[in-house]
Amino acid sequence: MTLRERLTRLRYNRVPDHLLGEILSKSWADNLVPFAFLVVVVAAFGMLLPGFFAPSSLLDTTRQLGEFLIVVLGLTVVIIGGGIDLSVGSIFALGAFATLSVIYIAEGPVWLAFLAAIGAGAAFGAVNGFLVGYLRLRAFLTTLVTLIIGRSIYDILITTWGARIQSSPVFNDSFDHIGMGALWGQPISALIALAFAVIAHLVMSRSRIGWHFTAVGGARRSAFNVGINVRRTIFLTYVISGVACGLAGFLFAARLSGVGPGTGLGLELAALTAAVVGGNSLGGGRGSIAKGLMGAVVVLLITNGLIRMGAGTGTSQLIVGLLLAAAIILDVRWLKNRHKVLSEVYVAPLHHAMQPAQSALPGSGTAYALNDALAAAEPIALGTVEGPEDVILDADDNLYAGTRHGEIVRWFAPDYTRSEVFAHIGGFPLGLAMGREGEIVSCVGAMGLYGVARDGKVSELSTETRRSLFSVIDDARLRDPNDCDIGPDGRIWFTDSTTRYDAHDWALDSIESRPTGRLLVHDPKTGRTRTVLKNLRYANGVCLSHDGQSLLIAESWACSVHRYWIAGPKQGQLETVIRDMPGYPDNINRASDGTYWMAWLGMRTPSFDLALRHPAMRKRMTRNLPQDDWLFPNINTGGVVKFDESGAIVATLGDLGGAAHPMVTSMREHKGWLYIGGILNNRIGRIRLPDADPAWTSWNSYWGGPVSGDPVSGDRT
Amino acid sequence: MTLLDRLLDPFRGEAVTIPPYDGAWKPNTALETAARVAALPEADNLVQDSGGAVWLTGGSTLYRLEDGGVTPAGTFPAPITALAALPGGGLAVALADGGLFLRHGGESRDLRSAFPVAVSATALLASDENTLLVAQGSASLAASEWVPALMRKRHDGAVWTLDLASGKAGRIADGLAFPSGLALDETGAPVVAEAFAHRLTLLGGARPRTVLDRIPGYPGRLSPALGGGWWLAVFAPRNRLIELVLREERFRADMIATVPQEYWIAPALRSGQSFLEPLQRGGVRTMGVRKPWAPARSYGLVARLDAAFRPLSSLHSRADGERHGATSVLDLPQARLVALKGAGEIADILNREPQP
Repeated sequence: MTLRERLTRLRYNRVPDHLLGEILSKSWADNLVPFAFLVVVVAAFGMLLPGFFAPSSLLDTTRQLGEFLIVVLGLTVVIIGGGIDLSVGSIFALGAFATLSVIYIAEGPVWLAFLAAIGAGAAFGAVNGFLVGYLRLRAFLTTLVTLIIGRSIYDILITTWGARIQSSPVFNDSFDHIGMGALWGQPISALIALAFAVIAHLVMSRSRIGWHFTAVGGARRSAFNVGINVRRTIFLTYVISGVACGLAGFLFAARLSGVGPGTGLGLELAALTAAVVGGNSLGGGRGSIAKGLMGAVVVLLITNGLIRMGAGTGTSQLIVGLLLAAAIILDVRWLKNRHKVLSEVYVAPLHHAMQPAQSALPGSGTAYALNDALAAAEPIALGTVEGPEDVILDADDNLYAGTRHGEIVRWFAPDYTRSEVFAHIGGFPLGLAMGREGEIVSCVGAMGLYGVARDGKVSELSTETRRSLFSVIDDARLRDPNDCDIGPDGRIWFTDSTTRYDAHDWALDSIESRPTGRLLVHDPKTGRTRTVLKNLRYANGVCLSHDGQSLLIAESWACSVHRYWIAGPKQGQLETVIRDMPGYPDNINRASDGTYWMAWLGMRTPSFDLALRHPAMRKRMTRNLPQDDWLFPNINTGGVVKFDESGAIVATLGDLGGAAHPMVTSMREHKGWLYIGGILNNRIGRIRLPDADPAWTSWNSYWGGPVSGDPVSGDRT
Repeated sequence: MTLLDRLLDPFRGEAVTIPPYDGAWKPNTALETAARVAALPEADNLVQDSGGAVWLTGGSTLYRLEDGGVTPAGTFPAPITALAALPGGGLAVALADGGLFLRHGGESRDLRSAFPVAVSATALLASDENTLLVAQGSASLAASEWVPALMRKRHDGAVWTLDLASGKAGRIADGLAFPSGLALDETGAPVVAEAFAHRLTLLGGARPRTVLDRIPGYPGRLSPALGGGWWLAVFAPRNRLIELVLREERFRADMIATVPQEYWIAPALRSGQSFLEPLQRGGVRTMGVRKPWAPARSYGLVARLDAAFRPLSSLHSRADGERHGATSVLDLPQARLVALKGAGEIADILNREPQP
């Protein structure tokens, strides 16, 4: 290896490029830009204005923040629901007026004032909600109108009653305490706002109605189609916004014990800016309370900071307006390009130098030399089955295979022309194994490990394992469960091929060649699933050895087969049985003569092997070319390989033309026949094995043969 | 947005694009379903001499096409790379090793000494009674080595004229991107197909002028069409992955150094012969089907051009087809023959293969 290649390997195998894509694929990734902006704003004002973050200054800021935050959160709910509320400033002012008139004019108690403020806000919000939700008027114009109407009502009220409030002799201690007092060193208004934020977050992220808000904002028609009452949901968002404004108005009134003509003026601009700068999308459906919180802090800090720096109201408004425009542009661009960015950065290829393999060319004289034996396979279900990744037979010789339609189909012996849907699972059933009672265990792509009883009843066995400590992607999830086998004690051993790609994108994992595959074991007695082995390059087939002491595991992109000891003196040890094959191994199953069958899903090509040593080239390929043009390993030619306990190759079968069995992902020997499946094929094939034991079945080999009391002997004599 | 785009560009991918099969290049299966006339490995170089006989080549052998099939008419010391009929009767035969024979009656004479350097011709055209135009793909590699020439990015092709009477040769243009076809425009000026630049270039003016570009493949030989205009054989398709590899200097150098040529990521006259050839995602066989629009290393394409070299229509054998690697067209009143060097066949595109 040249120095340059060593450096390349260092660069691509040590720098965790893949984390960028994993982070971007998280839903919280949208928070990163607003959060970074928040940090910048805090740092900038902290440096520019000495004492900006002094306790006394901070206390006043938090007091204002309390009121402002509540308004922003109400508006955030409306925006997530797909609407907009411009009337927040008016409602805020009316709420404050309602509070003061109860306290100073009617000389009522605080709780009544509180209810008056909330009630005024809710009523006004209900008007908005009725107009926008039920009458389906446009939110922007409607709330603009209610903004003006609300402001006018407030102006009339304040000119009529303002003087009486100002000159009122009432002193209400508890009211003043809410405004200026503190609890545990924090202003009460801030604590109320905090509680409001926590409740709002729980409602939005954990409750049914919160999900309805998001659903309606994201796709109104779809929300309607799934049965959500769209009109009522929209109505409620405006009521919530109104209540929030009323509450904020109450806190404002308590803090200043008075109102003026300017109360709440321009609040809609500041609140809207806060909501959008925080990262809530104006298109609806995408946003969170946390984003509203970040936006509120940023906008408040900027406006306060600018005032401290001596900027006039005009300048401050101008800057907030510019901020809003910038946030909207960024949001639109990000929303439009997010998937492009993700697809460009997600694939993060590694340097992987494969060792040279023996030739598999016909006539090369090696044990791997492919022939055309599979081309002559007798087709079963030609054109009617789609994607039989694995095949299995029961004691009555019936044939089972999973299909890409999410079903396990049963073909009836002896001629396999009649079939029925044996079980509907929903995900793509891949590897199959048969238990002692004749039940089928299946790895289902993107779902997990499922069991199918003899009557076709489906049960979930395992869908998760323990999450690793430092994983960005949720690797507790089984993303690509691929093949399984059952140990003598009933434990189910299975592989999860990759944590990086979904089951249908399995071949993209070959381009990356990152070892993320796992071997897991599920214990039906405890219901627990445990990760046994990690860091396999596409962990694929798994097969219990004839003596039941070890497992054979295929590592596809490494072209190797390993043995993992599950019993005996070497328990827990991993050793490599076959390395550097010319093909990519898939499922492994027992053969009648004490050896094993292994499927090759594809063949190595010199160009792909070379590309594996050029990660930068592969990276540019994934960035600059459409997926259809990406270089793949040759998965148009596969084969079946037979090997013994020592890993020596006994036989190799192929289909060089690829018309019948281009890619082979599984094979199963049964009573002198070999049944062949392929995940991308439209048929199951079978070839006669002239030298095989005509009575041998896989089930007998596992579960002890046809003895009396055998539960699956059926009609066999 | 331009400023924003400019700021973001270094962080974005640079898309590799190729011209689509659209307009006159719209795909069909006309070439795939054309009637089969004869099978001949390496079939190439269809010409009709002044006496009306049809000739073609396969490897080092010259054949005559008759009703019953092909009959050998002579063997040369090296593979034949180009063939032309001479107006005064006889044939001009170019060999991969630089040989250039004039064959008339039973005699042939070698004119290779007329050239100051060895010229391995990719195409020949008699422009008048006495002048033979000779297209040289590359000054450093033989005509048959077009794949290495492409992957090594050789742009050192030339066009020569050979005066048959005096035996003098002269170079009329050089620095061309693998000239591989010759034609004459309405004024009699030579037009050359620059395969690696995917264009047709008019020579003869003060400077070369492009008459057709953005050809969705590697243009090869041009031959006159009955009723005016020209037939263009496009011998290989463009492919985004190959265009990417052409940009990847280090990867390409390693590939040339360590991978056998038939398994390169490079265009070819035929593909799918071995499982060691590269595969692209779109070419994966799914449910027994290979997509016709899959990215391919080989393709079958001939196009009809008008007298101003604008494409009028095209005939295709797509990625899922067999009739790839069309290298020459011969338009006759009763048949329109296409030599498919990749498929090893002669097809008649005026007639269709009887469908079962």
